[in-house]
Amino acid sequence: MAQGLRIDILCCNYTNLAEREDFYEVPVEIEIKRFPCGGHIEVTDILRALRLGASGVMVCACEKGTCHNGKGNERAEKKVLSARNILQEIGMEPERITFYFVPRLDAESFVEDLKEFYKKLLELKIKERSR
Amino acid sequence: MIIAERRPLPEILANLSPYKKILVLGCRGCVAVCSAGGDREVAILAEAIRLARERQGSPVEVYEEILIRQCDPEYLQPLAEWMSKIEAVVSMACGVGVNLIADLYPSLRVYPGVDTTFYGANVALGEWVEKCRGCGDCIIDQTAGLCPIARCAKNLLNGPCGGSQGGKCEVRKDMPCVWHLIIDRLKERGELERLLEITPPKDWRPAGGDGLRVRKRPDLTLS
Repeated sequence: MAQGLRIDILCCNYTNLAEREDFYEVPVEIEIKRFPCGGHIEVTDILRALRLGASGVMVCACEKGTCHNGKGNERAEKKVLSARNILQEIGMEPERITFYFVPRLDAESFVEDLKEFYKKLLELKIKERSR
Repeated sequence: MIIAERRPLPEILANLSPYKKILVLGCRGCVAVCSAGGDREVAILAEAIRLARERQGSPVEVYEEILIRQCDPEYLQPLAEWMSKIEAVVSMACGVGVNLIADLYPSLRVYPGVDTTFYGANVALGEWVEKCRGCGDCIIDQTAGLCPIARCAKNLLNGPCGGSQGGKCEVRKDMPCVWHLIIDRLKERGELERLLEITPPKDWRPAGGDGLRVRKRPDLTLS
């Protein structure tokens, strides 16, 4: 796997059924963890993923207005903000955590989001090396 | 309830830097209700400490425990069992909990995980507003239930001041002038004449000006 990067995708079970093989174009190790709802993803889940070796965490939830539980997706977005603030406080790059609203059936845009995040992580890694 | 807010992580981490075994101790009282020191916040702080210390190359064992309250000695008893397993405690209770732990367990290093801020009400999801200053001599029977000590930036007993404009305080434009609210409320009730009486200067001793405040109920005290 290229660059030794690992991305953990924390994702609502209903958001998208894309699996590892759908992301084959992105040369990165991927862990997909599914939750009953985006609102069930906790700040601790995000921080733990980083502590256990993820280079970055991508939190994905259903698009606005489509959450089965009302506002679970918006809660997930807020949790990401909290987690990013914590990273900043402890001197880590908040960019290591990102959030995407992902359409239900379209794996293509999910893959594009992952590519975008992967590029950001690569940039961080290059910066780290040049220090 | 007592409102608190998690302290900045660099300060918490600096306090914990000498230790390798830490207990993050939550409280299911006020700080849980105001989302500062309950179950979820304990889990987040514990994970943040682990992550930060791993990153610093100084890993730490972080334990988590939540007590029903930290402001009663009987609820703090479980802490005795932790004494041999940990080197320091971060208490996520209000300052009362931290002080009581320090009183009861003098050899234990206890550090505050939150800043205790005010007595407030939960007015909306994620929003708490000060309603009481705990001044020990309530005057809200005269002010339609609205407290000028807590809610007026100048703690005026006979307001409003000249800085009240359009119902807003001059100190902060987003802050309603409580004296404006008091007058409106008394006017609606036909009780405006209450304000004709000048309230004399307040005795601040019950507010803490006389030193440590103690309340005793002899009928509840057992020897």
